[in-house]
Amino acid sequence: MQPDQRLLEVTDLKTHFDTPRGILKAVDGVSFSLNKGETLGIVGESGSGKSVLVRSIMNILTSNAIVPQSSKVRFEGKDVSQLNKAEAKHFWGTQMAMVFQDPMTSLNPVKKIGVQITESVRFHLHASKQEALQRAMDLMVQVGIPEPRKRLSEYPHQLSGGMRQRVTIAIALACNPKLLIADEPTTALDVTVQKQILDLLASLQEELDMAMILITHDLGVVAGRTQRIGVMYAGKMVETADTSTLFANMHHPYTEALFKSIPRVDNESHTRLDAISGRPPDMARELVGCRFAPRCRYAQNRCISEEPELLEASAPNHQQACFYPVGSAHNQQAAAANQQAGITAAGLDLTAAAVS
Amino acid sequence: MAGTGKAHLRGNEALLTVEDLTVEFPAGRKAVVNAVSGISLDVLEGETLGVVGESGCGKSTTGRAIMQLPPPTSGSVIFDGMEMTGLSKEELRRSRTRMQMIFQDPISSLNPRRKVHDIVAEGLSIWHNDSGHSAKQKVHEVLEAVGLDPETVADRRPHQFSGGQCQRICIARALVLDPKVIICDEPVSALDVSVQAQILNLLEDMKERYGLTLVFIAHDLAVVKNVSDRVIVMYLGKICEVAAPDNLYSHPAHPYTDVLLASIPEPDPQQPVPERQIAGELPSPINPPSGCRFRTRCEKAQEICSTEEPTLREISTNHYVACHFPNETPTKVINTF
Ligand SMILES: Nc1ncnc2c1ncn2[C@@H]1O[C@H](COP(=O)(O)OP(=O)(O)OP(=O)(O)O)[C@@H](O)[C@H]1O
Ligand SMILES: Nc1ncnc2c1ncn2[C@@H]1O[C@H](COP(=O)(O)OP(=O)(O)O)[C@@H](O)[C@H]1O
Ligand code: SF4
Ligand code: SF4
Ligand SMILES: [Mg+2]
Ligand SMILES: [Mg+2]
Repeated sequence: MQPDQRLLEVTDLKTHFDTPRGILKAVDGVSFSLNKGETLGIVGESGSGKSVLVRSIMNILTSNAIVPQSSKVRFEGKDVSQLNKAEAKHFWGTQMAMVFQDPMTSLNPVKKIGVQITESVRFHLHASKQEALQRAMDLMVQVGIPEPRKRLSEYPHQLSGGMRQRVTIAIALACNPKLLIADEPTTALDVTVQKQILDLLASLQEELDMAMILITHDLGVVAGRTQRIGVMYAGKMVETADTSTLFANMHHPYTEALFKSIPRVDNESHTRLDAISGRPPDMARELVGCRFAPRCRYAQNRCISEEPELLEASAPNHQQACFYPVGSAHNQQAAAANQQAGITAAGLDLTAAAVS
Repeated sequence: MAGTGKAHLRGNEALLTVEDLTVEFPAGRKAVVNAVSGISLDVLEGETLGVVGESGCGKSTTGRAIMQLPPPTSGSVIFDGMEMTGLSKEELRRSRTRMQMIFQDPISSLNPRRKVHDIVAEGLSIWHNDSGHSAKQKVHEVLEAVGLDPETVADRRPHQFSGGQCQRICIARALVLDPKVIICDEPVSALDVSVQAQILNLLEDMKERYGLTLVFIAHDLAVVKNVSDRVIVMYLGKICEVAAPDNLYSHPAHPYTDVLLASIPEPDPQQPVPERQIAGELPSPINPPSGCRFRTRCEKAQEICSTEEPTLREISTNHYVACHFPNETPTKVINTF
């Protein structure tokens, strides 16, 4: 890995929120890096801190956010938090751009599509009205919107959900960002449209040689479309690896559990799903030990008192944070002990035929 | 007509039979939205009928028309031997205790100002003059059944719960009236995969425990397949294909079913992402294509597809398709996309 290939470097990122219930540690010490042109998937359940993580990277947090000095986000070596307001405004769009889950939140409902695209082109690239219009037309074609000229003079509500998401992608791409962050870009869409949008993002990423962070709660979405994957749980990165390595060798019990909960179309109908019981912890509370322990079928005493660190796993570029990683002899012993007891050290009932 | 036909109906044994269901909505200047156009379906007692198709194809409208919410423009809905269309308001209210519906967005379908106990008990107090005591017992029973602890949840309000927990509350609210049929309209589409698995398992458990018959609506064929005994594939207000789920997967006959299958994200990086994706957008239901409604996006469309609507016909046992040029089936093994 060439050092000058580094695009993004996140070091010990902590984003805490001051809330009426106390300090909520939404992101609690995350480090990772991304190379130019690389694609990274970030996977985790609702509330695991995925959106807060990327909002911290974009530096678009709400005013109740607390980020300590020791947390660093460097983009091409530059500390993003040191940008002043004007610099930051140019930064979004030309360096990093974002696509959100609900296109309606990022589109202005009372402005025509054309205005929304040209606005950003004119602001960032200082283009003339005519140039901006041409650029908007080109973008609309690039993201696969039929009848682009007609669409430019329409309002967001006149488009379907999929078309709206294409428009937000066009806006994000308008100024050739080096990094595109897509935060659950297809979660609100149905599977056929999801496929169209994911295919579109993949082809654009390749064509424009952008780096991309694709956020989702579904491992299926990132499997065929990213080079690396980071799995997040309760504000922490619990496993990172090259995509093929991760799927071949899931070490963290949470990754394994997320994978097993996917209904597979090649399973016989009425196959019982391996749901993960319970819910992620309340991050406004002080958390001791492994955060996944209450839901983990392998949890041992050590997991309740001690917090596992993210460490190198067997393969290069593969890291995991678990004392009893799946596939290890330790894990097999833990599984056997818990199975025999019918209960884990954290009190998860393994015999329960009840609703999981 | 495309996707019309009744070859797949199973006659008197069905608990719920829908024939020639049409729902139109006014769309100004004499135009109408053809949301559902002459579809027929039936559900056997204890069966789960899956209904799958992309957003806007008329799945919710079908579910609501069965509930008479609102009644369909035309067609018949026979539930347990009784024709539902044309019933008086009072008669409908009575029959609705036996047919319940749950929805996609669990949080917004619960009244934020009411406590969980009151939300779940609401139907009871309207329908049965149960004494407060037995009502409370019943509410506790169903809350427990859906995996919530009645003691801790009964006095809380919906905003204190996650999406998955709200869906459990919605299911409890439906169960409390001892319905025979529950129509589940995309009950897991708004949930994370992990929570989705919990709710799908729960529905299977509740079906067994309470002897339910389900209509399960979703846009993801992998989800539908998991819980269904029979699946109906819908497109733009019409039925494309009807089959047992395993059959539909192993031998899809309709080109649209192929597309739905190719759209499911496969959690396996070794498998290439299928090239095939659906072309363009769903046409407007105000002015649907002539002949086969899928023809504007179909790779196999021929002349006849624009002039003649394909009718549902049986191509192998318990497998029906409405297409002029269905895939060779059942001899061919798929997975070629
Ligand atoms: N501005 C804020 N103030 C206080 N708490 C916040 C704020 N934004 C997010 N949180 C909390 O931080 C945690 C992580 O939230 P985040 O939105 O990053 O989750 P996520 O992984 O993106 O989930 P989802 O899949 O639901 O989008 C949650 O507990 C959330 O309630
Ligand atoms: N109340 C209504 N008024 C007008 N059009 C409607 C109404 N409800 C649904 N439609 C239209 O009917 C079609 C089918 O909708 P729907 O049943 O909600 O689809 P699905 O549930 O499959 O996504 C869509 O074109 C939708 O816009
Ligand atoms: S085995 Fe222990 S450390 Fe590993 S995920 Fe489970 S609870 Fe955490
Ligand atoms: S081949 Fe013709 S009839 Fe069959 S789905 Fe395509 S357009 Fe419709
Ligand atoms: Mg989020
Ligand atoms: Mg719907």
